[in-house]
Formats: sequence, C-alpha cells, structure tokens
Amino acid sequence: MSSEQLEKLSGLLGGTAKVAYNERSNLIRIEVERGELRNVAVQLRDYGFDHCSSVTVVDYPKEDLMEVVWHLSSYSRSEVSRYTIGLVTSVSRSKPEVASLTDVWESALFLERETHEMFGVNFVGHPDLRPLLLPEELMGTWPLRKDYQLKKKREDVFKKGGASL
Amino acid sequence: MMDFLNLIPVTWLPLLESVFYALVFPGFIAILLLAFFIIWFERKAAARVQMRYGPLWVSKRTGGIAQLLADMIRFSFQEFIVPEGADLIPFVFLPGFLLAFSVLPTLFIPIGPYYSHIFPAGYTLLLSVAFTLVIPVYLVVLGWAADNKFSFIGALREAYLLISYEVPFILAIASAFLLYGTLNLVEVVTIQERSLPGIILNPVAALVFLIAVIRATGRVPYDIVEADSELVFGPYVEYSSLMFGFVMGVPYIELYSYSLLFSVLFLGGWAPITGVGFLGGLIIPGIVTFVKAVIVMCALVFLRGVYPRYKLDKAVRAGWSWVFYLALIALLLSAFMSRVL
Amino acid sequence: MTQEIKTIPFTYEALSQLKMSEGVLELQIGPAHAGSGHMRIVAWVEGDTVVKVDPDIGFVHRGVEKLSEDRIYIKAIPMVERPSLVDTVNANLGYVMALERLLGIEPPPRAQYIRVITAEISRIMSHLYGIAIYGIFMGSSTVFMWAMADREPFIDLLQELTGARITYSHIIPGGVRWDLPKDFAENAEIALKYLENRTKDYEKVWINNPVVVARSMGVGKLSAEGAIRLGVVGPNLRASGVKYDIRKEEPYAAYEEFDFEVPTFKEGDSYSRLLQRVEEIKQSIHIIRQALKRLPDGKIIYEDYYKRMSPLMKKIYDEKGRVKFTLMLTSLSPPKGEAVSRVEGGRGEMFYYLVSDGGKAPYRFRVVTPSFRNLPFFTHVMPGHKLADIPVIYGSIDYFPPEADR
Repeated sequence: MSSEQLEKLSGLLGGTAKVAYNERSNLIRIEVERGELRNVAVQLRDYGFDHCSSVTVVDYPKEDLMEVVWHLSSYSRSEVSRYTIGLVTSVSRSKPEVASLTDVWESALFLERETHEMFGVNFVGHPDLRPLLLPEELMGTWPLRKDYQLKKKREDVFKKGGASL
Repeated sequence: MMDFLNLIPVTWLPLLESVFYALVFPGFIAILLLAFFIIWFERKAAARVQMRYGPLWVSKRTGGIAQLLADMIRFSFQEFIVPEGADLIPFVFLPGFLLAFSVLPTLFIPIGPYYSHIFPAGYTLLLSVAFTLVIPVYLVVLGWAADNKFSFIGALREAYLLISYEVPFILAIASAFLLYGTLNLVEVVTIQERSLPGIILNPVAALVFLIAVIRATGRVPYDIVEADSELVFGPYVEYSSLMFGFVMGVPYIELYSYSLLFSVLFLGGWAPITGVGFLGGLIIPGIVTFVKAVIVMCALVFLRGVYPRYKLDKAVRAGWSWVFYLALIALLLSAFMSRVL
Repeated sequence: MTQEIKTIPFTYEALSQLKMSEGVLELQIGPAHAGSGHMRIVAWVEGDTVVKVDPDIGFVHRGVEKLSEDRIYIKAIPMVERPSLVDTVNANLGYVMALERLLGIEPPPRAQYIRVITAEISRIMSHLYGIAIYGIFMGSSTVFMWAMADREPFIDLLQELTGARITYSHIIPGGVRWDLPKDFAENAEIALKYLENRTKDYEKVWINNPVVVARSMGVGKLSAEGAIRLGVVGPNLRASGVKYDIRKEEPYAAYEEFDFEVPTFKEGDSYSRLLQRVEEIKQSIHIIRQALKRLPDGKIIYEDYYKRMSPLMKKIYDEKGRVKFTLMLTSLSPPKGEAVSRVEGGRGEMFYYLVSDGGKAPYRFRVVTPSFRNLPFFTHVMPGHKLADIPVIYGSIDYFPPEADR
C-alpha cells in the first residue's frame, strides 16, 4: 500500500488509532483503545472492509493483558482487496470484556463465539455465546490461555483420575 | 417316477397342483431363489456402472451369486434387538405379515392356460390388485411401532406417497380392464395372443403402471421413504438380525408380484406358447411368463445406478398432476381401443 | 431484490419457546447418521418445513492451535494438513507462507512452480470429493464412486512424487522437499486428459440429470450481498456472484505468471455451486498444463539453506532431488513479529496468523479454515426449506467437519 493511501486511511480513523504496515504480509495493523473500537470498526466497514476473516486473542500473561484481534478484508472494494486489516485492542486479563462487533460484521458471529469459549473474553452484545467446539464440561477452563497446561505425561492423566481433560 | 405318480388318487391332483403352484412355482421357493438372484443382480449391475466389482468373494467362480445366502446366514446369528419404547406386537409381527401379503398376489396371477383348473379364474385381476394395496398400510404402522422420530417421518412420507400414487395406479388397472373387457387374466392373455401385446395397445397405461410400481416398491428414484441420507433407513431402521433380512427382501418380493402382473397384463403373458395339461399348460408357458417378469424386474432395479432420489413434495405434486393426467389419458385411450378391438 | 437473512438468536428463552410450540419436531441429525458427517445438525421441523437449524460442531476438535505452541515450527506442518484432509497441499502452503513471511525468505522459482502444480492437483481432488459427497447425499451412489475413483490418477501422480497418498508434507520453509520425477509431465498429461474425457460422462449422467436439476435448482439460494454479509468463502462465494479469488487478488506462489479465469454464476443456488466446481476443475487443468510447459530450472530449496547442508545431504540432493532436514530447519527461530497469510484452497480461503516471540515454537498460531467460515449457511440459509433440502444444501457447500473443527 502506498504511503498516501495509508495516511488517508489513518486520517479517516481519527487520532487515537495507531496504524502500522507489515509489507510482507500485506497487513495493516490498527491498534485502538477499547472505547474507540466500535467507531473505528464502523469507519472501516464503510471504507470497504466488509467481512471478518478471523477473531482471535494473543495472550500476554507477563504484561497482564490480552490482545483481541479482528482480521478484516474486503470483497467489494477492489483497491483494498489485497490487504488484511488487523484491528487490535487490549483488555485486562482479570476482567476481559470487549464490545462485540457482530452488528458491524455479521461474519464475526461464529468466530467470536469460538474465541469466547477458548479464552474467556466476554463479547458484550453477542447474541449467542454458547460453547461451539468444546464440550459443556470444559466451559470455563479457557483452554487456549497460556496458564492452561496440556497434560503431557501419561502419569498426569492417570493420577488426576483419568476421564476429564 | 411315473409309478409313484400313478399311486396318487386322481381326486388329490387338483389339491397337489394348487400346493405346487403356491409353494414351488411361481410361489414360495421360486420367490426365494428369485430374491437371491435379483438382489445380486441389482448390486452387480450398479457396481458395473460404478466401476467396481460388486459381490465377488463369496463364490468367486460364479461371480458372487451366493452373497445373499451368506448375508442371511450372518443375519440369523445376530441378536434381535427390540427398542425399549417400541410397540411390541406390531414391531415383532408385522414383518411376517408383510412377507405373507407380498407373496399372496402371486397366487392369483395365472402363468399358463391351465391355471383355471387350479384356482377359480374369474376375478383374478381384482384379487391380485387388492392384495397388493394392503402392504403400504402395514408400512405406516411399522413406522409408528418403532419408537424413533426418523421412522415416524418415514411412515408419514409413505402415507403421503401412498395416497397420491395409488389413484393413478387404480386408473391404469381400470384402463386395462376397459381395454380387455374382462377381469379374468387367462382371457386377457388370450385376447393379447389374438391381437397385440397390451404395451402396444395402450402404452400410456403401461407407463403409469410402471411408475406406480417403482413408487410402491421403493426403487430409486422413489426410495424417499427409506432415504439414506435423510432418514437413515426410514421405518425399517430399528430392525436387526433376520427381521432386517425380511424387511429388506419384502420390497423385492412386491416387485416380483407387480412384474408378474405387468407381464400378464401388458407383455402378453405366455403369448407365443400355449398347451394343455399340467406340464405343457402350466410349467412351460409359466417359464416364459416368469422370464418376462424377471426382465422387467432387472430393468427397474437397474435405475439405482442412474438417478438420485426425488424430493417428497415434488413427488407428491407429480403424483397428483402429470402422472394423474397420464392415467386419465390412458383411460381415454383404452376406451377408444376397446371399440377397435 | 436483496435476500432476507434473519439472525435468529439462540437464547435459551427463544429455544424453549420453540420447543413448546405445537407441531414443531426437534430432530437430532446426529453424529451417527448417514447424512450428517462428523457433526450434529439439530433441526426444528414444522411439518416438512425446517424452522431453525443449529449446527453442533466440535466432535473432531483436536486443538491444533494449542498443540502447536508446544512443538517446533516444522512439526506444525503435518498437524495443519490433517484437518483439511482432502485439500492438504493448500493447507500446507498457507502455513509455510506465513512462516516464510516471518523469516523473511523467498523460495526459488522452480519451487514456486512445483508448489503451484501440487496445489492445483490438490484443488482438483478437493472438488471431486465435493462432487462425490453432493451425490451421495442426494442418493446417487454412482457419482460418488465415479468421483472418488477419478481422484486415483492424481493420487498416483503425487504418490510418485512424494511417496504418500494424501498427506504429503511436501512444502517446507524455503521450498519443497522432492523434485519432480522425469516422467511426471507425461503422466500428468495422461491424468488430465482422462479427467477431461470423464467430464463429458459427468455432464451426461449427473449435471444434465433431470432429477439433479429438479432437486438442486433454486435450493439454498444466497444472493451476493448476503454472501458478503455472512462472510462465506470459496466456490460458494463465487457461485453467488462475487468475483473474488485470492489467487488473483493477492497473488502468491507464481500465480501471477499464469493465465486463468475466475468463473462466477449469478444464481447462488445449489445447482450453480455444483457447476462452479466443475468449471474450477477445468481452470485448474489449464493452470497445470501451463506450469508444466514453462517449468524453470534451478534449485528447489532456498539458497541459504542449501549452503548449510552437509556434503552427504548435498549428494543426496544432487542425485535424487530430495531435501533432507538440516539442523537449520528443525531449529528455526524466526525473529519477533507477526505474519498473516491467505491461501485459496479448494473449499475457500484459508487464513493463517502467526505470532513469534523469538523462540522455537510459535507464540500464537491461529488458523481459520474455509469450512468454519461457511457455517452461517446452516443457520441463515437452511431455514425455510424442506427437510429433504438439508442434505442437498449441506452437500453443495462442501462442508467438511474435521476441517471446521481443527
């Protein structure tokens, strides 16, 4: 992306958004505060990024925060169809709560549901946060967080009584 | 052998002939051997279309024809499981009833001119058709008896299809009756011997008859009741062991009854051959009728390799629209042809 | 006319209200069902009409993302291939591209061409599998057997190349592992000609089959605007009229040098999704032919990695065209950073996001597979159709449960 396009995009999003460009991956990383998230999302959608490819969380236990990332791209606007946007916001690990973007992008419906059951991030406003991939018993254990250890040794599994993960 | 036959009192002969007709040919034993053959043929023909071998290993030199025998032996060693919430008496006894009623129509279909000495031949068309119409009702009860939502949906589908496709079927039979003017199937064949086979006299009625037969026996593309990917096996899904063998075999036996009726009504029955006596008037023309019926069965069973399955609402709609119109056209055509004949 | 897509919330109140209403039957088309695959489709049926569908997935969830955090980078290659079992090369390619972007290396041109050839063969196999599943769900075992048998020439081709039938692990950071054998081009031409002849058979027996047309035309319609809103991917997206193919939008691995079209259809129903897959097979055949004709010479592994091979490994490379794993590859430590890669797989867009903290294992590895993104078809497109349309729609979107569950 040329630097003029990049500047135009970051100018559109307002002052608090930090924009960085990763040329190898055609990735534009936009970091926002939690409060500004929805406004920036609506701006991006109106600019032409019309669907959400992935929602995930990168867990940083040492800094006591989790970064929630929405990856967006564009089907309809051909100048930006080759770029992916990574919309990043940080939440605290003790109370991970962020606004759900399903009313901006309906394609984020199942993606946010999966992220919730894996990390425990509460997407406020999501219509349906039931467990998707995990069985009901594992709901609340937040398996993909860094402090959840997979049982590596056989002895661990059999020592703790076996059947449950 | 002939000395033994001389020992039998003459008065016993009609009884023995009836028993032979019911139990050996074209009755029970012929049906069992035919079921072996037609199921093997269906699997082999579908396999050849699909670029694979089909049944092969059970009796390698004869191309796997004993496969169904091997399956039956395996079934008889399995446990017969009755689901807990199932209605016991219909669940356990109805397959036997189904088997009995599917064999029954063959009693009333003559396979040779000697038939009129075995059973009274006056109303054979009516009787054989009447017995074929009882079976779908049993199927609906079967779907209710197994305590399973998918069987229930299968039974409902059978009820819908039954109502929409029996009307054209009866109209096709009625047009055959109108064409020949008699309910006596022996006379029907005599008329066809004199003029032309029924399929040339009234092809529309033959077509409607075949469509109704494919529906009634659940051959592809009408295997909606036992749809594999939607209702795992429909009303029969809870059966195991020998009962499963029964309910799998019953549609083929129904198909045989219908095909026998078709070959007598429309293909001229034993047309070129005629004779007298038990041997010349029943067995030899019987073989001709039997072969014609088997050819019809093979053609209908081959459709498995060609078509996917119909959808229920489109099939029901078709039964009430263009199949019905065809049946009415068949009736008119019969009325016209009966003046000519 | 824009399509009405209703988002019915799955809250407990709404569900219990539905359960209590008369005439609504809750069907669990569960994992042990001939028409469901490795998932459960909970369908609420009123009479014969489907009112609501809830896909209950996760039966084959293996935790690929969590497992990769304990293993070195190169070990994630077989792990990433196995969920997308029918289309393994594209899955492999996506992950390795993300890793190469982190490392900052580029494979040589010959390796890129070989990647394109194997990826297109994998795409053909994936589409044939999709056609087979579509057929068996509609009740025709003929097309199922034919399509599965027609995958065999391509499996044989790649078996000659790599030694494995389905999961090749052929693409590694820096290039590919095996060079093409001498007679690969002739065998590939035989396989492609065979498939072109078979396409005529398929057209006669399946595509122009009146029962197929009756059952799939008009079923599962999704407009272009609806497809964009729901975020669906792959042939489902293009059959709804949106012309978007990552091989053209964000070209990777030498796709810029080939001349191919991206077919689209306007109607967006199950029949056009079937036709879309057949058209894409034809385009893939075209790409493979171009690639085989213009194959450049050279090395198949990144120059720097070749220099670090031991003399014995270099000897094996020169004689057999085989790349053995050096210590370099098994102890990759990319610098700190993140990378994103998108690949157009047979079923749609595969998305990979790698975050590295300088260690030997990924810090965070995120993979989103095309089947997972096609999930909204169940909740938004199926309601309103008949019960018998559930397998037809399911088969036409080519949903593969192990791929969605990872």
